[in-house]
Amino acid sequence: MKSLLVLPRWVWANLRSEVFVLPSRSLVLAAVLVLLVLPFAYADPYVLRIITMTAIFAIFAASWDLLAGYTGQVNFGHALFFGVGAYTSALLSLHFGMPPWLTIPLAVAASVAAGALVGVICLRLRGSYLSLVTLALPLILTGLLFAFPDFSGGELGVSGLKRVMTGAVGNYYVAVLVMLVSCFAMWKIGDSNTGLIFHAIREDEVACRASGINTQRYKVLAFMLSALFAGIAGALFAHFLRVAGPSSLEVALSFQVVIWGIFGGAATIYGPVAAVFLLYPLTEILASFDLFKEVRLLIFAVIVLLVLLFMPRGLVPWVRDKAERVCPRCKNRNVFTRHQCRLCSAELR
Amino acid sequence: MKLNRWATTLGALALLAAGSAAAQNIKIGILGPMAFVQGENHWAGAEMARDEINKAGGIQVGASKRQIEIVKVDTNELQSVPDATNAIERAISRDKVDFLIGGFRSEAVLAMQEVAMDNKKLFLGAGAADAKLCDNVTKDYERYKYWFRVTPTKSADLARSLFAVLGSIGAQIRTDLKKEVPKVAILSEKAAWTEALVKAVQDTLPKMKMEVVGTWAPSPLATDVTAELSAIKRANADIVFTIVSGPMGIVLGRQMGELQLSAVAFGINVEAQKDGFWQATAGKGNYVSTLDTFSEVEVTPKTVPFVKAFKERFKKAPTYNAATYDAISILRVAIEQAGSIDADKLVPLIEKMEHVGSAAVATWDKSHDLIWAVGKTSGIAVQWQDGKKVAFWPPQVKGMQPFKMPN
Amino acid sequence: MFQDILVSGLVNGGVYALLAIGFSLIFGVARIVNIAHTAFYMLASYALYGLLVIGGMPLVLAIPLAVVAVVALSLVCYKLVIEPVRQHESAVLIATIALALIFQESLLVSFGGSFLGIPAAVDGFVSVLGVRVSNQRLIILVVVAATLAATWFLLYRTKLGLAIRASANDQEIANLMGMNVNRVAMLTVGISVALAAIAGVVVAPVFVVDPLMWLSPLVTMLAIVVLGGLGSLKGSLIGAFIIGYVEAITVFAVPSGAFLKGAVALSIMVIVLLIRPEGLFGVVFEEER
Repeated sequence: MKSLLVLPRWVWANLRSEVFVLPSRSLVLAAVLVLLVLPFAYADPYVLRIITMTAIFAIFAASWDLLAGYTGQVNFGHALFFGVGAYTSALLSLHFGMPPWLTIPLAVAASVAAGALVGVICLRLRGSYLSLVTLALPLILTGLLFAFPDFSGGELGVSGLKRVMTGAVGNYYVAVLVMLVSCFAMWKIGDSNTGLIFHAIREDEVACRASGINTQRYKVLAFMLSALFAGIAGALFAHFLRVAGPSSLEVALSFQVVIWGIFGGAATIYGPVAAVFLLYPLTEILASFDLFKEVRLLIFAVIVLLVLLFMPRGLVPWVRDKAERVCPRCKNRNVFTRHQCRLCSAELR
Repeated sequence: MKLNRWATTLGALALLAAGSAAAQNIKIGILGPMAFVQGENHWAGAEMARDEINKAGGIQVGASKRQIEIVKVDTNELQSVPDATNAIERAISRDKVDFLIGGFRSEAVLAMQEVAMDNKKLFLGAGAADAKLCDNVTKDYERYKYWFRVTPTKSADLARSLFAVLGSIGAQIRTDLKKEVPKVAILSEKAAWTEALVKAVQDTLPKMKMEVVGTWAPSPLATDVTAELSAIKRANADIVFTIVSGPMGIVLGRQMGELQLSAVAFGINVEAQKDGFWQATAGKGNYVSTLDTFSEVEVTPKTVPFVKAFKERFKKAPTYNAATYDAISILRVAIEQAGSIDADKLVPLIEKMEHVGSAAVATWDKSHDLIWAVGKTSGIAVQWQDGKKVAFWPPQVKGMQPFKMPN
Repeated sequence: MFQDILVSGLVNGGVYALLAIGFSLIFGVARIVNIAHTAFYMLASYALYGLLVIGGMPLVLAIPLAVVAVVALSLVCYKLVIEPVRQHESAVLIATIALALIFQESLLVSFGGSFLGIPAAVDGFVSVLGVRVSNQRLIILVVVAATLAATWFLLYRTKLGLAIRASANDQEIANLMGMNVNRVAMLTVGISVALAAIAGVVVAPVFVVDPLMWLSPLVTMLAIVVLGGLGSLKGSLIGAFIIGYVEAITVFAVPSGAFLKGAVALSIMVIVLLIRPEGLFGVVFEEER
């Protein structure tokens, strides 16, 4: 009897000591719970569709952050991996009639391969050169797809794909659950030894190499991991919309993910996710008001600009810094209302 | 006390009546990129139809007359396909529209079609020409039967119209220029919808005693085709056969005029169908000709009154997207025949319908696509002559003027 | 066919050169990747349209006014938006993307999404080596040559040019030597946008004007500066003509593959970068610690 209580007790202990002590973590927990129960409270297919799309784009944005935020390889053509995931899934579905649960893993594999290829290409490039080359790659792929329209469907893309699940609620849960698992995985990667090395590569690659780390291997690994998650997002996108077209490779999409990443806060994972959850539904809501319909993108750009000016590290880090304070001794975060650190009792100014 | 109770009951009944009267409006979602010409025309044509029908009292649904309400659905499909699917979902779940009309970009319409079919809503297409939209009906009739294409005819049928017009232009060249075998240069934008057309042209022209001197395929967004035109001039072409829907059509017209090419441009040039074409080519797009839909000629008895009224109200000529006017009319006829707005009842009625609209006399085949026939759904051909868009084909329709060759 | 390629490549290369040099200048000096560069080019075209076609102003007045207006706007944007975030390279990138989007949407709302045409300065055409070239394109070539000469003169024969080149070489030392680095950066922005604006007003009559016209020249221009080497003016010039000729050859050699000219140009850029990562004439900058 007593042993049955061990698990709930452990959960409660962790919640009390790790989660509820910080507003940011409590907020994340609350958000996750809301996402999980939303369909029970509000089963409007329109709302579910918006959140499903948001979840898919959140995976995409977080994958960009894993690459660009952590290792500093600012990828301006991230839509490449998204598009590879979408198209591979779609073409396998179309030409071989495979079901979604088979096409999606294969699409992810293709995406990882693309990631490895791009990673190797970019080993010789730095800074802006890397950004501009990565910008060019999706465009080259688009050109190739147009050159073989019988295979790829040309600029119409591939259509008539099967949904992963029937019904808006089923697809919603697929997207949200995949997003939660993926983002948690990415966050864990960022928090791990590998993540530490990624940070080091961004800060000072020469020192990193001097410490004996094979930075080339880690840079390519970053590309592959990032492509993996972007591929998941792309494949889910194709199956949700039931269409995979050149719009999944376009420059605007690459720019969009960069904006989400920087707006939310680079090198955080949760930053871009929050950014997508804030900005994407916002642009949709604006679209339903006649007054704002025309100037939707304009308002979006202005918001981004303002955030950049006043919160250059990103929105989420700025908010976090207001709500939480770092202890000068043990470097752990505390709520801003505290006077003493919760772990080491040092004075918090 | 009793008075109070009566008052409240009557009041409630009155409110209920008013409420249900408002709820009795038939809601039609008009889908299109509203910031651009195509969406503007979708909406304008729909407004004309709504005002005309509501002024006459509305649509007769069984025993009562119901007014129609059109809902503007900005799909932004030119810039984002997910925006389009979000917009149509919003129209169906939030605005609770009964019918859907419009669409333009084929990639987006394919995605929107899925959403509409999921919800079993009648979707009348007024802009996308891709065959796949109707192939879906043949593939899975029970799911896709709610889709009908109102305009344009599918890409393959556009070819038939083109050949019909080309025949008469070719004949004119033979007599005017005394050339037995006119030379034709194909200039088509690189796009999925042009593939089949280009092949058809390459195969058919020799049979029409015309020589294909080459095929050029610039991007639909190309801002410069002087290189292509140089090569075309070098090949001594008499006709530049254009298969273009993007802004390259403007560049093409302008550069042909600037370089004073002796060849004449004919084919499909969607930009040349618009009023703004003359200004966009800075007055250089003379002699450019293209297939078109609306002009002040009597394709059907309804065409001229519609075009005149449209021009008066909106101060510009309608493009083919304004055939949303016809689409609403089709719905009206079907609803009045069926006595209900139930989509399942309307589908078989539209399948058998012959509808005399302003753009065409429309009938549909098994795949819910328009059946092609000269003078009925073939459209017309127009040419820009000194700043005016002049219709010159089919010759048997009243109002046609002669075709001019560049001197 | 050779004549066609020769003339076509020359004309298009010239246009690209104007855009590429401006972009290269601003990167070399201020280390700013200005994604909005072609957006200023677009603004200049629209300004010319507004003044010439809607306002009915004579061409000789409209052109300088359009250029000056756009340069003034760019300086304001720089002061308000770019300068505060100059330290964070990625923030600057986003800021310029956001600016470009704002310009695009404002133009979309004010002028609509349809395509506009601007009349050429001089009508007619000339036959060069048997190839018909419109007069406007010859004017473009002349303007390009003159502008490049003027830029060269500014950079290599004036004190300001010396300051600009010094700042590009090593900003810290230039600052220590007493040059007002911030002012130099701002002036460079002005000159760079002026080049883009001049490109906008001469090229607008030849191309089509619409709110999305900044996207495809952006990609080509980026390919050129990267190919030539970011920060190298000579590289941008040569790169522009290389890409111009590559595109012309693609169109003439493979007529039904004409749409591929963009992808081919980009592929060449990628290949060159793999072989020589800093571009053809680029200078490898020391990692700034």
